[in-house]
Amino acid sequence: MPSRRGIGGVLGEPIRFILNWGRKYSLWVFNFGLACCAIEFIATSMGRHDFIRLGVIPFAHGPRQADLMVVSGTVTDKMAPAIKRLYDQMPEPKYVISFGACSNCGGPYWDSYSVTKGVDQIIPVDVYVPGCPPRPEALLHGILRLQEKIAGEASGIGGVKRDAASLRAPLVTPPQGQSDVE
Amino acid sequence: MWSDEVADALGVEVTMAESRPVADVAPGEWRSAVTAARDRLGCDFFDWLSAVDEGDDGMRIVAHLWSLADKRGLLLRTLATDGLLASIVDVYPGAAWHERETHEMFGLDFPGHPHLAPLLLAPEFSGHPLRKDFVLASRVAKPWPGEKEPGGDHGGPRKRQPMRPPGVPAAGEWGPSEQDGA
Repeated sequence: MPSRRGIGGVLGEPIRFILNWGRKYSLWVFNFGLACCAIEFIATSMGRHDFIRLGVIPFAHGPRQADLMVVSGTVTDKMAPAIKRLYDQMPEPKYVISFGACSNCGGPYWDSYSVTKGVDQIIPVDVYVPGCPPRPEALLHGILRLQEKIAGEASGIGGVKRDAASLRAPLVTPPQGQSDVE
Repeated sequence: MWSDEVADALGVEVTMAESRPVADVAPGEWRSAVTAARDRLGCDFFDWLSAVDEGDDGMRIVAHLWSLADKRGLLLRTLATDGLLASIVDVYPGAAWHERETHEMFGLDFPGHPHLAPLLLAPEFSGHPLRKDFVLASRVAKPWPGEKEPGGDHGGPRKRQPMRPPGVPAAGEWGPSEQDGA
């Protein structure tokens, strides 16, 4: 729950609830499909799983009209600048779901020369959906987690600044004295 | 027999592998062999060209040439020991991108190529990632997840002796040493 409430730049609780309720059920989604996970994303958007019933609207006409970016697939070092650029084009408030093992951490390509080890190295990620690839139900669950997160946010006149650092995990230091072959 | 025709036209011994003849030619004969395959054997379609790092023996360059009319083809191979091979772009213009890719992935030089610029890798990439001496830095920074025995570690002797694949240096051979405090 937000720490700041009431007057002082932040609206009262009923208004905050209404605003967040409206925001969390109109997430225009922008699919950054990069590999096989994108197929699962498309399956989630179609009739059987149908994430529009959760208020996720496929598809935004471009990043400038989008609220949510789903990075689904293997992020390569060559594609990374494009992801960063499109993320920067999205208007605040913006959210990112990292969908699948590859965009979470590199997945099966964790030791590749060309694959970025997690999209969170270039953009802040709100929800990670694990799996290789995850089932459409997993993405629905991730969307619900994101909506819980939006519902808990502060809401104010002119918007509330989000701290990108709060979304980042600390750097992982290499293990000491360990080797892969003895 | 198709393989006899190939042997006649190229003047080398031909072995059969996977239902198609494989001809090994000397690196100096590379261009004349490719030209003979096109003009005398009717191989009008250049399929692909790549290389294999054979370690101390050199680099083996492989090209697959195909005759669309006769529905038959051959693999043409040569072993370049000094890291360069004459370009075949003027014989098959389609080989241009393949030679550029082989150039950046293996560090091979193709004299006679009109524009031997990097093709696929990110512009700031250094090194030739498909060579066997290319170090996979992730393998040094992170412990190998395949270290775990199936069924968990029970403290007993290792059942499987791990083999060090190419690109994975031995412990302490590469990267910051422990004295650096990295």
